[in-house]
Amino acid sequence: MPELIIDGQSVEVAPGATLLDAARQLGIDIPTLCYLEQCGPMTSCLVCVVKVTQNGRARIVPSCAAKAEPGMVVESETTEIRDLRRTAFELLLSDHVGDCLSPCHRICPLDLNIPRMIRQIETNDLDRAITTLRQALALPAVLGRLCSAPCQNGCRRGGSCGGGSAAIRDLERFVADACLRSPDKYLPARKPSTGKSIAIVGSGPTGLAAAYYLLRQGHACTLLDRQPRPGGSLRRVDDTSLPPAILDAELDAFKQMGAQFQVSTPVGADALSTDHLRRNYDAVLIAAGELSKTELDALGLLASPVGVRVNTATGQTEHPNVFAAGSAVKPVKQLVRAMSEGQAAAECLHQFLVGLPIRPLEKAFSSVMGRLEAPELDLFLKSASPIPRTAPAQGLGAGFTVDEARGEAARCLHCDCRAEGSCNLQHYAELYGANPNRFARQRRLFEQHRHPARVIFEPGKCILCGICIHIAQQAAEPLGLTFVGRGFNVQVAAPLDRPFSDGLQKVAAECVKHCPTGAIVFDDTFERTHS
Amino acid sequence: MASDSLQFVDQTVARIGRSPDAVIPLLQAVQEHYRYLPKPALDRICALTDIRPATLWGIATFYDQFRHRPVGKHIVHVCHGTACHVTGADRVEDALRRQLHIPPGEDTDPQQQFTIESVACLGCCTLAPVVKLDQHTYGHITAEKLPRVVSDFLSLEAAPPSPETVGQPPALARSGISQIHVGLGSCCMAKGSDLLFAALKEAAQEFNAEVLVKRVGCVGMCHRTPLIEIRSPNQPAKFYAAVEPAEAHRVVRQHFRPRGLWRRISRACGETLDRLLVGEADEPIERYALNQRDPNVSAFLGRQVHIATEHFGHLDPLDLEEYEAHDGFQAIRRVLQQPQPDQIIDTVERSGLRGRGGAGFPSGPKWKVVRRQDAPVKYVICNGDEGDPGAFMDRMLLESFPYRIIEGLAIAAVAVGAHEGFLYIRREYPLAVSRIRAALDQLEQRGWLGDRLMGFDYPLRLSIKEGAGAFVCGEETALIASIEGERGMPRLRPPFPAESGLWNRPTLINNVETLAMVPWIIRRGSEAFAALGTATSKGTKVFALAGKVQRGGLIEVPMGTTIREIVEEIGGGVPHGRKFKAVQIGGPSGGCVPARLADTPVDYESLGAVGAIMGSGGLVVLDDTDCMVDIARYFLQFTQDQSCGRCTFCRVGTRRMLDLLERLCTGKGRPEHLAELEQLARQVSQGSLCGLGKTAPNPVLTTLRYFRSEYEAHLAGRCPARRCTALIRYQVTADCTGCTICAQHCPVDAIPMAPYQRHTINQELCTRCDTCKRVCPHNAIEVL
Repeated sequence: MPELIIDGQSVEVAPGATLLDAARQLGIDIPTLCYLEQCGPMTSCLVCVVKVTQNGRARIVPSCAAKAEPGMVVESETTEIRDLRRTAFELLLSDHVGDCLSPCHRICPLDLNIPRMIRQIETNDLDRAITTLRQALALPAVLGRLCSAPCQNGCRRGGSCGGGSAAIRDLERFVADACLRSPDKYLPARKPSTGKSIAIVGSGPTGLAAAYYLLRQGHACTLLDRQPRPGGSLRRVDDTSLPPAILDAELDAFKQMGAQFQVSTPVGADALSTDHLRRNYDAVLIAAGELSKTELDALGLLASPVGVRVNTATGQTEHPNVFAAGSAVKPVKQLVRAMSEGQAAAECLHQFLVGLPIRPLEKAFSSVMGRLEAPELDLFLKSASPIPRTAPAQGLGAGFTVDEARGEAARCLHCDCRAEGSCNLQHYAELYGANPNRFARQRRLFEQHRHPARVIFEPGKCILCGICIHIAQQAAEPLGLTFVGRGFNVQVAAPLDRPFSDGLQKVAAECVKHCPTGAIVFDDTFERTHS
Repeated sequence: MASDSLQFVDQTVARIGRSPDAVIPLLQAVQEHYRYLPKPALDRICALTDIRPATLWGIATFYDQFRHRPVGKHIVHVCHGTACHVTGADRVEDALRRQLHIPPGEDTDPQQQFTIESVACLGCCTLAPVVKLDQHTYGHITAEKLPRVVSDFLSLEAAPPSPETVGQPPALARSGISQIHVGLGSCCMAKGSDLLFAALKEAAQEFNAEVLVKRVGCVGMCHRTPLIEIRSPNQPAKFYAAVEPAEAHRVVRQHFRPRGLWRRISRACGETLDRLLVGEADEPIERYALNQRDPNVSAFLGRQVHIATEHFGHLDPLDLEEYEAHDGFQAIRRVLQQPQPDQIIDTVERSGLRGRGGAGFPSGPKWKVVRRQDAPVKYVICNGDEGDPGAFMDRMLLESFPYRIIEGLAIAAVAVGAHEGFLYIRREYPLAVSRIRAALDQLEQRGWLGDRLMGFDYPLRLSIKEGAGAFVCGEETALIASIEGERGMPRLRPPFPAESGLWNRPTLINNVETLAMVPWIIRRGSEAFAALGTATSKGTKVFALAGKVQRGGLIEVPMGTTIREIVEEIGGGVPHGRKFKAVQIGGPSGGCVPARLADTPVDYESLGAVGAIMGSGGLVVLDDTDCMVDIARYFLQFTQDQSCGRCTFCRVGTRRMLDLLERLCTGKGRPEHLAELEQLARQVSQGSLCGLGKTAPNPVLTTLRYFRSEYEAHLAGRCPARRCTALIRYQVTADCTGCTICAQHCPVDAIPMAPYQRHTINQELCTRCDTCKRVCPHNAIEVL
């Protein structure tokens, strides 16, 4: 029974065990992409490298293939090894033709999973569409009317041949209105109470977005507003653009979630001072919109040339338990930005309250394909409804009917990856903080091969792990799959230029299951994953 | 394709076999027949054999040799080896494409006459740049020479010379008779030595001269080929260099007396007649003469010690008796008489012999591991897959000393207890393959190989495996995969082949040169070998000396000889008054050692310390017109294509390094790219699975280490060596007389014809092919 040391921990393993086995025995998470037990080590992806010192010699080996030997000293979670693994991910991503997240989703400051919501509209699964929407947005019906919709600028149908970008905001409103009409309003779940209380100064978009996040984390929130009614700048919007009833309905949802509103409560020297709030609450968030120099002085906070002086990364002021966000820090024009800033500050404030190191949350990882060439776009357009963008027949005030919404949803190109959320490359790339754009390069063309039995092969996403080749060989597929070519241009394909699926007559499902990325998927993987 | 035309496939399968390891030989035979791999033929192979379609296709697309489209009538190979690269292979290829009307992006001209193929290295580095039209090799090519080369080739095609006959019995008894030795290695033949050989034989026959015209292996002095040596009893040997076939008659006449009175009279008359008719028949043939005491020759040969190349230039490669008469097979006989194989291994171990293929692993201990394995079947393999651009030692050894290599391999087999062995030889070396094959045939015919090795009770079967064009197959685990009939993809070691190699049996793999040393060591003893060289690197090393050097060639020097001694003394320094800048040692795995470190001795440790490696022994000299960034780019271009594609660091990492280098070479680099390049190079080196990837960054790391200022100049948009075409431009100076020669030669019409006026170059059209500069009689073209 070989005994060895991994990251300072001693472990005894069965004879013949690999270093990966040994590490897993200790609960050390070594990333792997190309390793599948039934195939044996492929030693292709090399993201499982570790450093082994033995007999005074150090070398770097793939842990999936290197056998554990007595007396080995193995390093896994060191800076050197993590850097090396990160580079392996970045190299793979530099030749990974595909988007994990759709461009609209990546652009959305509030991280709304737009293509998922649209798929749920299309399949008439409104319940899930509302959940998706509610997951990201504090004020969906407000945003569904007022959002400047930067997402639509990123829509790939927006170009000359697409018939106009998908009407994302209108679809969002369609779902949000359905939510408001529902009896339970689909209130999001709250975590168990933390016993912490937060005073949020200002109940406009920024404060509300922060409260929406903090309430869900289990904190108690009190929103103070000098105006008699909560809503801040949203109260200044004309009634046609935002009927007050809609705003009130969404504010009601906050109350149902447990938010306290203290209206007609100015904050400053002659009213509730910052010091007072700091004494009576565990933390304070200033989200009161633009403040004059006098108001700032009255609050007793240091000022920058444009607002409250904060650590721009975290929103924290010179008082550790006082944060500020939105126009209070720096004027913000877009509604959706103001809300995302409120949420970002809330995330940092939450970390502060639970004693975590304060780090702004990074955007979700995504491989990025960038602009598409015309033939690439055609591949996406092929599977979407060809109609041009629809407008609500009964006018903007009424919004989409169900049929209109479903028709418009069918126009979505589903630019996100079918393996999003189940992809090992995405998972570990995020965990290792990989930068998909570290290496500037000439990108390969996006390709998609659709086959009978609903198998889709996207060779650009293939990382050449060889698992499918191996599975096909084990199953004695008559044709099988193989590596084709050499060097940088190696690809996985069926032999003799036959269609890919010809090589997988028996084991397509198994290959889909074990593909570490989204290279081999079923056409309907989207529905499977998300329903 | 009609089914009757597939009969060839049926016959081939019947002849070669249907097992999975027959796949490469089958594909080679099919391509030989159809000149490419037609899909119906591949389908037919799958139908007839146990080879899976996936395996077949994986292999057919892995190796360079295999073509998937019909080709033109002739194949033109353009060598892109290191020496060819630095002497303008890219320009040659461009010019050749224009000349043969091959459109950009295509490989064949519309008339289907010529198909152009890039070759990593033809191993004729002293003739750089080299192109090969079908089987005819042409050296020292320039764009201006191409029309003549092509017409010469077409005329040769009209009357093809008879192919080399191998194993021919010597015509005359060998003692006491004069001999003319003609070097017939591939580089000599590329310079016409086969034609000279035929002409000399014809002349000797015509005069009935008492002389044996004899084929010998490489003479080493590749810079003076075709080279002949005249050896007469009781006279010093006489060399003639660069002799033309037309001169054969005079050489024979001058040196040898015809037999018979009548012929002597006619010779005398003939000479008189010649004098009368031509007037210059007297012009001394001496202009070709080289004296061995000539300072050039003695400098070239003086420092050399010949072990692997023992009797170089004297042995007919395929004359078995002659090999035997020169101590051949003494060592293997001694080994077979030796009851204790361990003692053989001890001798090899004590000699300090280390692998000559690159990494320098001690041979004795490696043999010992294989010996120690308790396995019913073991294998020995001679690794002759010399793929490094800029290296041709193994080719020369295989061509010149086939029996010696076989003897070395046989000794290794007996020492480790193997009864089957393979010689894996790259297909770019057809002459090496045919000579080894002929040598094996002769040994088998004589009963010295097969059931009874040298007549002893020791069965040993040796066969040839021809590579199919993949540099990575020089890596031992890839080589094994290739013999097994797989894509040549390396795997993680351990287990080492010595424990589990070919078909999972213990397998000893040694490089050609390593094996060539073995008979000498057994014969002369380990002490004699260990007396040469340095503390850790014993014996001698064969180098292929090429590039910017006066006297290129094949040399063998004791370990520890300095780079300076090799370049300046043996090689005679850099020609054309240029400045010695660096040597590239070890090919794509090696590094560039700058001139200021030229006193570095060549041994494994010293070269490692300066960032290079011994490698297999390619040594390309660079001068001040060579751009080090371009050299790094050149090697990365090579490795990213030759990577087997298995592991991320090598497959993608080398490509990203190449991307960065290409940005630098085109003036698009940014300052942060240098740090990025260096970091990536180190990580590729650390993370790659096999030796190819681990050493691929060496050319980058060494040039960054020693020539960083050149990289920085590229960041500023300058190429100090005036090599990177995107960063230079050609300009006509005031010295122009308006002779129009440049305008006539410009292949892209970038110079308008302007008689008696100073010419101008259209920068938009100019491809920086350098033709104008070379043809200008007034030196009026400058590069900025």
